[in-house]
Amino acid sequence: MYKRLCVVKPRISKRTYATASNSTADQWSGWETVIGIEVHAQIKSRRKLFSESFNSTDEPPNTHVSLFDAAFPGTLPRLNRYCVDLAIRTALALNATVQPKSAFDRKHYFYRDLPSGYQITQNYAPLATGGFLYLDKAQRRVGLKQIQLEQDTAKSTYAPSLGATQIDLNRAGAGLMEIVSQPDMRSPEEAAAYVRTLQALLRSVGASDGNMEQGSLRCDVNVSVNRIGEPFGTRCEIKNLNSIKAVQVAITSEVYRHIDLIERGLPVAQETRGFDEERAETFKLRSKEDAPDYRYMPDPNLPPLLVSEAHVDKVRQTMPELPPALSARLQVDYGLTEKQAEVLMSVDSGVNIGYDGEVAPPGAVPYFEEVARGRDPKVVVNWITQELLAQLSRRDEPFIANPIPPSALGELIDLLQAGQITGTSVKTLIRHIFNSPSSDSPLSISTLMDELGLKATSSDLRAVCEKAVSLLPQEAELVRKGNEKVLMKIVGQVMKLSKGTADGKAAREMLQEILRAKE
Amino acid sequence: MQTATTGFAANLPLDTALDDFNAFVSLSTSTEGSNAGRGALPKGAKIAIKDNLCTADLPTTCSSAFLQDFRPPYDATVVSLLRTAGGDIAGKTNCDEFGMGSFNTNSTHGPVINPFKPQDARTQASEAPRSAGGSSGGSAAAVAADLSYAAIGTDTGGSVRLPASYCGVVGLKPSYGLVSRWGVVSYADSLDCVGILAKSVERVQNVFDVICRFDQKDPTSIPQDVRDRSKSRTDHSLDVWSHLAPGRFDGIKIGIPQEYFPTEMDASLRSQFRKTLETLKERGAELVPVSLPSTKYALSAYYVLASAEASSNLARYDGVRFGTYQKPAPRTDLSDTSAVYAQSRSKGFGAEVRKRILLGTYALTADAFDNYYLQAQRIRHAIKRDFNSVFRSPNVLLQNPNPPTTGGVDVVLHPTAINSAPRLGDAVQQGVDGYVQDVLTTPASLAGLPCVSVPWCVAADGWPVGMSVVGQWGDDRVVLRVAELTEDLER
Repeated sequence: MYKRLCVVKPRISKRTYATASNSTADQWSGWETVIGIEVHAQIKSRRKLFSESFNSTDEPPNTHVSLFDAAFPGTLPRLNRYCVDLAIRTALALNATVQPKSAFDRKHYFYRDLPSGYQITQNYAPLATGGFLYLDKAQRRVGLKQIQLEQDTAKSTYAPSLGATQIDLNRAGAGLMEIVSQPDMRSPEEAAAYVRTLQALLRSVGASDGNMEQGSLRCDVNVSVNRIGEPFGTRCEIKNLNSIKAVQVAITSEVYRHIDLIERGLPVAQETRGFDEERAETFKLRSKEDAPDYRYMPDPNLPPLLVSEAHVDKVRQTMPELPPALSARLQVDYGLTEKQAEVLMSVDSGVNIGYDGEVAPPGAVPYFEEVARGRDPKVVVNWITQELLAQLSRRDEPFIANPIPPSALGELIDLLQAGQITGTSVKTLIRHIFNSPSSDSPLSISTLMDELGLKATSSDLRAVCEKAVSLLPQEAELVRKGNEKVLMKIVGQVMKLSKGTADGKAAREMLQEILRAKE
Repeated sequence: MQTATTGFAANLPLDTALDDFNAFVSLSTSTEGSNAGRGALPKGAKIAIKDNLCTADLPTTCSSAFLQDFRPPYDATVVSLLRTAGGDIAGKTNCDEFGMGSFNTNSTHGPVINPFKPQDARTQASEAPRSAGGSSGGSAAAVAADLSYAAIGTDTGGSVRLPASYCGVVGLKPSYGLVSRWGVVSYADSLDCVGILAKSVERVQNVFDVICRFDQKDPTSIPQDVRDRSKSRTDHSLDVWSHLAPGRFDGIKIGIPQEYFPTEMDASLRSQFRKTLETLKERGAELVPVSLPSTKYALSAYYVLASAEASSNLARYDGVRFGTYQKPAPRTDLSDTSAVYAQSRSKGFGAEVRKRILLGTYALTADAFDNYYLQAQRIRHAIKRDFNSVFRSPNVLLQNPNPPTTGGVDVVLHPTAINSAPRLGDAVQQGVDGYVQDVLTTPASLAGLPCVSVPWCVAADGWPVGMSVVGQWGDDRVVLRVAELTEDLER
């Protein structure tokens, strides 16, 4: 990536280009990069922000549209309280101050994806102000300016075969949270970390799926550059970045562009720019002078949004655990490593939260906690991450598609610990269940083991018997010499080793076989 | 069929009109007349609906070329309520385009003709047709000509009261928020009120009882608990007055606002108003001169706010999802949305609508916002404060209302219009002069207060002028009661 930039910008070829991503500070020594990010996150509510139509993900175009979404005459907005509560959760998770009174404004412009000719947003008085997000690795505290509610636009797609743009109103009127940061980030890496951390936070409280590839999270980035010690430079906005990688590359490219201009003594024009992924560089969309006047007007249909302290407390109490607390708890209470905790927490787009912030069928963390009850958590977590999640990932399925109930996995682990089954057999069983999920419930491990011939396999029994023999060499010798009565003692040892789960008769036969063979 | 004689009137499309006054633009074909009296309305009561309320079975054109073929798949809440109550929807009535106008001359269906016949037979024969008032001219004409029991209109700055005054009928603009606006095509959301026209206060009251309901689909619909609070207060007043002998006004305090007699007002109206006041005094009313100092700014504030909101509400008309689409001219840059939409909008909107959209857009621009929009809002607050300082009852919408401790009035009384209906030829040349017709009606609109215009007198030319009774927010039944009492006054 950086090599291509080298080709595009020969003037600054004197600089060394790092191949690792965290040496931009070295590349730009003497320069300060100032970055602020505006994130638009789709609110994970069932219905849209001001209408009763359902939010959609992949449905056929123009099937989730109400009269209001299509801006039919005579229709009026109706605020969806779930959106407000999810935004309050976000504000609390980000340490922002929820305003007791906020208001809705109309932002006017004509565009094909805006049926009513205006977007309902919160320009003058947003739902929450202030707050911060702490970036662990960079040890940077990124301040936030505000969090506001607003409508999403329709989706417009250019269809080359038709030579026309097609409009899908499914997304028109969906609820968005705009989270505006202060210009506190100082490198593309910090910007990427900010987005990642924010994504995890939004998912953990169930406010948004925060998925850039699916479009449930979009970023606009503001970048300015100044020589260290000097005031902030002119900032440029880069719009419509669709992945964290794009965020990093776009910022990097933009910084080079600014440095180049400043070094040549040219002014940096305040512009809004787009990002060309192919060429890994930004391009001008419009200048400051061309910036539209949105003619903000308070929306006369919507009364001020009043949120009481009592209501904020209620939201706080019904909120799920925040990532830092959850991660700490998994590490402290269960002895997991940070990495293991991270893997569990990042399964799917939300630990266990469905739409409207409701607790959905258990996600990976509660699953883990249930299986780990009374068992070695380190063993449990490995089976989950290395087998269960691997199977799901191979099938590209979400955690909810996991066919193995916690009790079944627990049983398998117990059997394994008891030597009743080998690790290989556990894997076989897991794969079998995934491939042909049992239609009868509850899942019977015992039955499956029989079907697959895995029950007390001779090799496992053999292992236990051999171990018993090694523990009782004198007795073994005696049995070899023909003393059958002592054999029962060794059988007893086998039972002890297998915690009573071994088949006594089979054990006796196995021992005889082992001992005779040694003759 | 009335024959048109003057130059302008000769162009009226009377041969295509559905009735003699071009009041209706579409007529219902269903025979719902056989209502078994199950509802609150009298059996067979025909109700005319202004063409800016959506009806699923009839076109809803808002008298605009843009919506000439528009057939919404839904009824406005008000229409549903009327149907459920046994009302027979007679048809849709003519109006000014999107509710913008004071004379019902801004309509693709042609102007409405005022059905009133002056008493003097001599003048009647040579009379040129007159305006029925706007924007609910069609609704006013429908009831004035006995084509329907009552009619629904909308009143944003006087659009029910002015036609009522011109046509000599009763017109009610209820308190803002009491009647659902869902399904009413928005002109200015913070000002639009569904109103009722009929020949008597009793009929207006009957229809009002049907449509005055909370509607959860309308976010500006006042919740039930506030309505109840307001009702208990009005119940008290009505109870006290129920003991009055017929024709008596004892104990009723009527405020006479000194700012409501502008120089533009017809001189004969002032003297007639004085006579009316004397009569009221004789009948026991207590007349209280009051001052509403911000009145003189009301008209300007109204036009700034209404135009600003109109520019916003009409931004949705692009012809893509509904309405009349004008295919862009050959060299149009199709990637420029504004350039494409402008063509449908310029073709589909009439001159007055285009004017108000442009003015409203300007008022919202960053440069103009503080001087126009914000200033107008400040004036609006001042007007509300003025009214709150003269009414006896506190405004239940306020957290801490501070009604006057002494001297507060029950209602305010003033002429509805500065003159009688203009001739249709004269009415067409408007400009700012046309707006001055609304000078007496806009304050109550800005304040969201209930107001009834009742037939009052005739001007020097023999044409009707109405009188307005205004009350505190929520006091609609009080206002209607006083209006009913004035029906008995000698004209």
